[in-house]
Amino acid sequence: MEINVRGLKKYYQSEGKVIKALDDVDLTIEANKIFTLLGPSGCGKTTLLRCIVGLETPDEGEIQIGETIVWSKEKEIYVPPEKRQLGMVFQTYAIWPHMNVFNNVAYPLQNMKLPKEEIAVRVAKTLKFVQLEGFENRPSTRLSGGQQQRVALARALVAEPKVILFDEPLSNLDAKLREETRKELRQFLTELEITAVYVTHDRVEALALSDMIGVMNKGKIIELGTPRKIYFDADHQFVADFIGRSNLIPAKLLRQEKQHTIVDTPIGEIACHKRTFEKDDELVLCLRPEFINTEKPSDEHTNRVKGIIQHITFVGEVYEADVQIGEETVLVKLDPETTLVVGDELTLSMKPDHCLLVSR
Amino acid sequence: MEKRNARLTYSLIVIVSLLTVAPVIMLIIGSFSNSLHSFGNFTLKKYVAVYTDPMLIDILGNTAAFVLGSALFATVLAIFLAYLNNRTDIPFKFLFKVVSVMPMMIPHVLFGVSWALLLNPTNGILNMLLMRLFTLSKAPFNIYTIPGMIVVEGLLDLPVAYLIISPAMGSFDATLEESSRVFKAGPLKTFFRITLPVLRPAIMASFILCIVRALASFAVPSVLGMPGRIYVLSTFIYRVVSMSLIADYGKAAAIGMSILVISISLIYVYRYYTRASDKFVTVSSRGFKPTVVELRKGRIPLFIIVLFISALLILLPVLVLFYTSLIPYVMEPGIKAFKAMSWDNWRIVIKDPISVRSLKNSLFLGVVGATVGSFLSVLVAYVIVKAKTKAAGFLESISFLSFSFPGIVIGIGFMWYFVRTPLYGTIWALFFGYIATYLPYGIRPMTSAFIQIHGSLEESSLVCGASFATTLRRIVLPLLVPGMVSAWILLATMFFRELSISVVLSRPGTETLAVQILRFSEDGQWGKLSALGLIMIFVSTAMVLVVNALGAYFKPGEVREKKSVWTKGEAKLKAAV
Repeated sequence: MEINVRGLKKYYQSEGKVIKALDDVDLTIEANKIFTLLGPSGCGKTTLLRCIVGLETPDEGEIQIGETIVWSKEKEIYVPPEKRQLGMVFQTYAIWPHMNVFNNVAYPLQNMKLPKEEIAVRVAKTLKFVQLEGFENRPSTRLSGGQQQRVALARALVAEPKVILFDEPLSNLDAKLREETRKELRQFLTELEITAVYVTHDRVEALALSDMIGVMNKGKIIELGTPRKIYFDADHQFVADFIGRSNLIPAKLLRQEKQHTIVDTPIGEIACHKRTFEKDDELVLCLRPEFINTEKPSDEHTNRVKGIIQHITFVGEVYEADVQIGEETVLVKLDPETTLVVGDELTLSMKPDHCLLVSR
Repeated sequence: MEKRNARLTYSLIVIVSLLTVAPVIMLIIGSFSNSLHSFGNFTLKKYVAVYTDPMLIDILGNTAAFVLGSALFATVLAIFLAYLNNRTDIPFKFLFKVVSVMPMMIPHVLFGVSWALLLNPTNGILNMLLMRLFTLSKAPFNIYTIPGMIVVEGLLDLPVAYLIISPAMGSFDATLEESSRVFKAGPLKTFFRITLPVLRPAIMASFILCIVRALASFAVPSVLGMPGRIYVLSTFIYRVVSMSLIADYGKAAAIGMSILVISISLIYVYRYYTRASDKFVTVSSRGFKPTVVELRKGRIPLFIIVLFISALLILLPVLVLFYTSLIPYVMEPGIKAFKAMSWDNWRIVIKDPISVRSLKNSLFLGVVGATVGSFLSVLVAYVIVKAKTKAAGFLESISFLSFSFPGIVIGIGFMWYFVRTPLYGTIWALFFGYIATYLPYGIRPMTSAFIQIHGSLEESSLVCGASFATTLRRIVLPLLVPGMVSAWILLATMFFRELSISVVLSRPGTETLAVQILRFSEDGQWGKLSALGLIMIFVSTAMVLVVNALGAYFKPGEVREKKSVWTKGEAKLKAAV
């Protein structure tokens, strides 16, 4: 089911100041896709999710899930969370400690007043789906973090909702388990016909899981796009910076060429991915360390600059080097087998496609 | 939702204010009044009378010695026991649990009486035995002295001190000590230079709380102090209202005011130390085990000491009471005593109309009072935890006001209050007085129960399609049951043996068990006293067991961590502290 959010506002009062948790948010989430709300903590992403599920009431606007308007200020509609027929996985999992696995998972079906036999069949099926077969009678206090996470997922899926919401569900797992669970989750969700709304502040999680990402900051959705678009071709400095490590270098528009936009920067004249700007726009060049090469350039358009290594640190997969180019210091990733040391001069090359220009 | 919460908050503020703030205000006005009947006519006469009383110097000296001595005794003993339990390989560690739940089992007044039976100078059983054994002409011990009172009160406050110090000792980061050893300090030096200083906040908190409790203590000073004409502030009040020809409630209120001021300031210091103890990070999330000190040769002797202390705390009082309940008058154990044994005292007591009435009254106050008290506690705790408004914060502070109230002082406040209402002289005066004074003990376990119910547990139930009512029934209430059981048991046991408020408020017809036992003790009717005391211990234990079983039955289905009765009792007291 598609989710439509129109003109949503939610303000909080805190110590005399008004905090705009949601500042006029318009958003359409396509049906049967995995949509991620990504942003730093306090950006309003969880508030938006809680408004969709009905645990929080917005101040202004309208929320529509499928054909049903579940909340509208104007039309005075409020459908309580228990009537919205959604599934949700909480950050804390919210597994009820006084119930066993079966009762936790069966709870939504029990509330639908289904016959006992059917409940048993569907719970068994769902537990099998999340690979927790035979865990029915396990007290929920005797589950590991990963198992709790699966129980929470099973509970959210058991009633076969058309929409499922995730509130940072992986943040309580340790790094290795988080990676495994993320892959599984992607697999589970792809197998089902379901619209998933996923909230996270972890950019890797967002990139790996989503069909679409909405990046939020200060109560606004800054940018919408596929993971590749957000990563390679962000329109906003905030997005480019938030989604990965970036060297941000001030730039001035020189001229537009057929294929590239040429800018002047403290590290020299750089050919960039083509993009149109107003003449007076203040520009920033975003260079991701992973796209700065030391090998010989493959084509004539590639930018080449010379610099001196100021600092070099071995971090395992790569060497991270601070390279001074003119007045500017640029972070570069070097091959782990490099023999370069501090003080060495080197030539760096950057493909224009990876030189991203954004307006400030 | 928010509107409903606000309405609930304000009605609770009104109710709790009537219970806790009103008696304090009445106490203050009362201390400036002439008598119960000329309420509010301002006079300083009572303060002048109290502070020019020639006895006052002695009383203050006695109070200081009694209070500081017993607090020191309890705290040092608690450090010793907590260290042995947490940090050494002493055997049979379950004995330490006995130490911590003892006060739930034996009312203070009975504990005091049992020591009087053993060590009073005229016919103390132990004294008589020792006199014969060593052919002494004079009793070697006299419990009716300040040192005697200090030891008995110290033993009674030991559990409180232990429950504060032991967890701190248990979560102590042993690497702090290990590094001291590495830097060339011996084990003893390490204990005094590292262990004790790091634990200072817990130790200070325990010491201060013991002072507050000793200051409020009425049972020990009345049972052991008054026979030797040793008065402390609490018994001074008692003397003013019930042992002189004309009860002077104005003077009592004036004395009470000074105790109240000291007590509230001490609680303030106590809060300071318990807050500071958060800063001294001794608890770490790593699952470490503190290194265990091997006692080697000291293991068995130290164990015997612990065994001896546990016996002093539980076994001895019960045995002495049982023995005394069977003999017609106090005599030393032997063939003569054995021949004279009978159930006469028991028979007399269960036929004595006043004793039976006091049992009924206390049972009513225990059961009904605890039920109403826990219900009020649930509501107050709900508002404190879930509604984070300014009004809720205010409700919290007035609910915990009575934590620092000495029972006899607040009893005087209630006297000034209830005499102006139809409640005066009825069982309901006691009923409301109890609930007001012990409300914090009901709220504590409930707030921790509510805090454990993370908001998302309710929210996820709503998202799963459950209505508000279903959520309440299937999620919230089941998770609250353990907290409610704790609160109920704590309140019921405290109400059942309440002495210091009752001694002021009870009137002919509204006697309570503890008051009746005090009367027997004043009249020296030891046999009847013992029989009634044992009935009291028996009934209150039965009550605790029944409710525990009920709680386990209503706790829905699945197993949680199985806890023994001992740990439950300990947890309850911890909540109370």
